[in-house]
Amino acid sequence: MSNTSEKFLINLLDHGCFKSWTFSQDVCLTCGICSSCCPASGIDGFDPRKLVRMVALGLQDEVVEARWPWICTICAKCENVCPMDIDISNIVRRVRSLRDRDRVPGVLQKGVEMALKTGNILGLPKEDFIFIVEDVAAELAEEPGFEEFKVPIDKKGANILCTIHNKLVNTHTEDLKHWWKIFYAAGEDWTISSDYWEGCNWGYFTGDDMASKTMVGRIAENLKKLEIKNFLWCE
Amino acid sequence: MADGKVLIIGGGVAGLSAALGLARLGLEVQIVEKKSFLGGHAIRFSCKATDRCVKCGACRVEETLKNVTNNPKIKVWTETRVINVSKANTFTIHLSKRPEYINPRKCTRCGACFDQCPESGALIQGHSNYNFPFIAIYEEKCRFMRDRSCCICQEICPEAAIQLDGNSQQKVYLADAIIIATGFQPFNPESKPYGYNSFPNVITNLQLEEMLKRESIVLRPSDNTIPKKIAFIQCVGSRDAKLNHLWCSKVCCASALRLARLIKSRQPEIEISFFYIDVQTFGRDFQAFYAAVQNEVRMIRNIPGDIYQTEDKRLQVNFYDAALAVTQEEIFDMVALSIGITPSSELNKMVELFELRLDETGFAFGSGETQWFSVPGVYTAGTASGPMSIADTIASASQAVTAVAKLLRQKAG
Repeated sequence: MSNTSEKFLINLLDHGCFKSWTFSQDVCLTCGICSSCCPASGIDGFDPRKLVRMVALGLQDEVVEARWPWICTICAKCENVCPMDIDISNIVRRVRSLRDRDRVPGVLQKGVEMALKTGNILGLPKEDFIFIVEDVAAELAEEPGFEEFKVPIDKKGANILCTIHNKLVNTHTEDLKHWWKIFYAAGEDWTISSDYWEGCNWGYFTGDDMASKTMVGRIAENLKKLEIKNFLWCE
Repeated sequence: MADGKVLIIGGGVAGLSAALGLARLGLEVQIVEKKSFLGGHAIRFSCKATDRCVKCGACRVEETLKNVTNNPKIKVWTETRVINVSKANTFTIHLSKRPEYINPRKCTRCGACFDQCPESGALIQGHSNYNFPFIAIYEEKCRFMRDRSCCICQEICPEAAIQLDGNSQQKVYLADAIIIATGFQPFNPESKPYGYNSFPNVITNLQLEEMLKRESIVLRPSDNTIPKKIAFIQCVGSRDAKLNHLWCSKVCCASALRLARLIKSRQPEIEISFFYIDVQTFGRDFQAFYAAVQNEVRMIRNIPGDIYQTEDKRLQVNFYDAALAVTQEEIFDMVALSIGITPSSELNKMVELFELRLDETGFAFGSGETQWFSVPGVYTAGTASGPMSIADTIASASQAVTAVAKLLRQKAG
């Protein structure tokens, strides 16, 4: 390597902080099946294969600054089909974690902070939450066959604890009824909690492991408090 | 040349080539084959010559089979399994041969049994005219084998060649050396997101080979019409850490591209797309061959993610088009999956019988190398020890023949 420009290129391709990552990013064959099956590929030219390559090649600044890692929904279909078993969703999460928190796109960081402070992304007070779910439950009880329906809140010793997506107590309340009907018909012994009821974990989504851990810890605490063994983590 | 007897386990191209090589040295050879027909996978392969021979090796299989059939030094037992082996001065091998339901010496291949059999797949025929017998009963499908409810073929056979309630035969064979040529297991692609075995127009490269040998042209399996667009998908079940198949199957790039060009030469109106990771080079004339491929075949460096079937049994193939940076949902009439070469389950039996050693891939250690066996006189040939082309298989059979000859010469003192 006598040529200085070649030296420069080699330096650019330093693995840097990625060297220690154990997501198998270095064994990528570039087959592209990840990009072919990704529901988000093509959005702003998003190409999961190239994203993995950027990490494998150590293009740290480029990948951290790129919009691509934030287009991914972490559905993990790519790693499900990846023949080399590369942990692509965790690559995306770790890349996201390298962004300064004040540069996390959109409302995501605000949501994380709100969830840490109030227990849910919306900042919905406990009384409002209970009012909404009981209101929807009352609506459901008007339907034939569901006259006896009541929403079980904080039921100690229930078989299953369920979390809820914040949309279901905000813009999509009708969607609560579908799974409630199934539980009712099946005679399932289930409950939701009035505190930390949310299944969404934007800490996980933005690569903020500490926030993610706090949110998961609260749910674990609910399980302990309510003495419930089974957990259905609906987002 | 020294006297001696050699048992060959497996009647595919490796076993047949080894048998011929040994017979030419004057040795007595016995081939045992568990299936009804000799020739293995490769006997189903089509000649891929276009305006000239492309050295695919398919004709060599046919020719070797013919020479084996005509060679008095070589005895063949099909539908036969090795039960156990003991070794003193020589090997004593106990074999079990399935009942001979159809007497090949009486059968004239008239096909009456085929026409009358009510169960599809219960009668099967060889892929080469040199197969002897040419017609066989497939026990798993035959109604007589299941519950004795049908013996139409036996009743209508004009030569009285069929006897459905025969007995299996036990035989003992003495041999000075043994060659294990049990071949490979084609990867079953059902677990991949391509709808294999659900969508009739998704087939494997082996099925495409067979179709081209039988029909000379490509027809869509669902309705026997000529397809307008065909997709090849490479590396299905090869280079796959999840399956623990880290190896490249070596032959699929060559065979699939040769198949693609063969189709273009016979049915130029068919559009062919070739989805690949990277193309393995093959043959001395690869450069010229590959240049010609570029003009005839659309090469796409991407493996598709999903295949969905349309109402008219066509196939929507989803793939990322890196050039345009968009996901394409393109419709094809047929898809051919280039499936991987994986170790045969027969190898486990060989491990038990011969203390054969397998490497971490599950294939046997290299061919013709005695040091891997605790018992001298046992050798491997062909794809039992890993993926290889027809030409390489023939070469590996020659290696095993040389090793056997050396051993017998030493024995003779």
